[in-house]
Amino acid sequence: MAQVTLETNGSVCPFPLVEAKEAMTTLTSGDELVIHFDCTQATDAIPRWAAESGYPVTDFSKRGPAEWSITVQKA
Amino acid sequence: MLISGLLVGLALGFVMQRGRFCVTGAFRDVWVTRNTRWLTAFLVVVAVQSVGIFALDAAGVITLQAEAFPWLATIVGGFIFGFAIVLAGGCATGTYYRAGEGLVGSWLALISYALFAAIMKTGPLTGFNTSMRSVTVEQSNFYSVLGISPWLLVAVLVAAVALAVRHHLAKPKFAMAALPASKTGLAHLLFEKPWNAFATAVVIGLIATVAWPLSWATGREDGLGITTPSSKLVSYLVTGDAELVDWGVYLVIGILLGSFIAAKGSGEFRVRVPDAATAVKSLGGGALMGIGAALAGGCTIGNAMVQTAQFTFQGWTALVFMILGTGVAAKLTIMNRRPAPAAAPRIPVGV
Repeated sequence: MAQVTLETNGSVCPFPLVEAKEAMTTLTSGDELVIHFDCTQATDAIPRWAAESGYPVTDFSKRGPAEWSITVQKA
Repeated sequence: MLISGLLVGLALGFVMQRGRFCVTGAFRDVWVTRNTRWLTAFLVVVAVQSVGIFALDAAGVITLQAEAFPWLATIVGGFIFGFAIVLAGGCATGTYYRAGEGLVGSWLALISYALFAAIMKTGPLTGFNTSMRSVTVEQSNFYSVLGISPWLLVAVLVAAVALAVRHHLAKPKFAMAALPASKTGLAHLLFEKPWNAFATAVVIGLIATVAWPLSWATGREDGLGITTPSSKLVSYLVTGDAELVDWGVYLVIGILLGSFIAAKGSGEFRVRVPDAATAVKSLGGGALMGIGAALAGGCTIGNAMVQTAQFTFQGWTALVFMILGTGVAAKLTIMNRRPAPAAAPRIPVGV
């Protein structure tokens, strides 16, 4: 089980989600992807994608003003 | 009362920021993720406003006018605008509200968009714009050509949109991860809680409806609009001619302030500087947005949301070509984008 961090701060939507989807394909089941992002729309788009894909979200937090982190586990 | 423009703008900017209401995203999702959730929300705005404005028209509060349909400029401009909003990372209103969130890329897109709208409307490209928009057909809207009551079209639109919303709400419920709450009561509702897309759309539809009589009362006989007011704002800033500052100019300033208040209040404001490539895309996208919107006679708001609610050919033609332009740009810049250099080989995944 590995944890991979994807840094997307500075990239605007939809790129954080696009990059997260790409990164997810390189992981194996049980691995966790930590996505750092600062695009507001992704606070809706990323957890929605995780839920629709059946990936559990093990952490979702606000790191600071307009800065978030979400941890999605590959199921 | 020009100040009502500022208040409507404040409300609109606030609701769009909190609701994450992004028309570019709505059009883009149709192509990139084959999802119509946000497009449906967008059409909810059109439907709500359509009911509202035909009721206001029937009550004699406003009088909807029929103008010739500049088909060539609408097709070309709509496509250019749709393409441009993907580059700029937001449509006209989206750019205003992201500028209010502190995204410097959106500041660049906004300045470029407003400048090029002014160049097309009152500057050196006025002749080009006017000649493009002079290619017209006399028929202006669906109900007069069909010889039916507009209310029949309102009913069809409302029914179709209601079915689409039901389709999206009927999807199996899944638990979506949420941020831990740190506020309570009204503060939680206004500055923290994620807003439902369709509820947000109804609120925007009501704001768009109220905009009509308020703007009308000041002599500006129109609903929400972004491009002409942005162009007038630029002209005012360089000429000092206060006559140019109408209800619409107050509206766009209000959107910027409203989104800033929403973002600041919810801890979502931060000055964010883009990388060089994004900065160039924002500037170029903004310029094309100004050109496209001026040609088409409006942006995603003025055309795709306000003209459509009146069932004009211009509005629906612009909407279709904006979505097509968005599709081409999404294909080129998102779906076919070069993979990151260090990325491992990928297998295709279903969405």
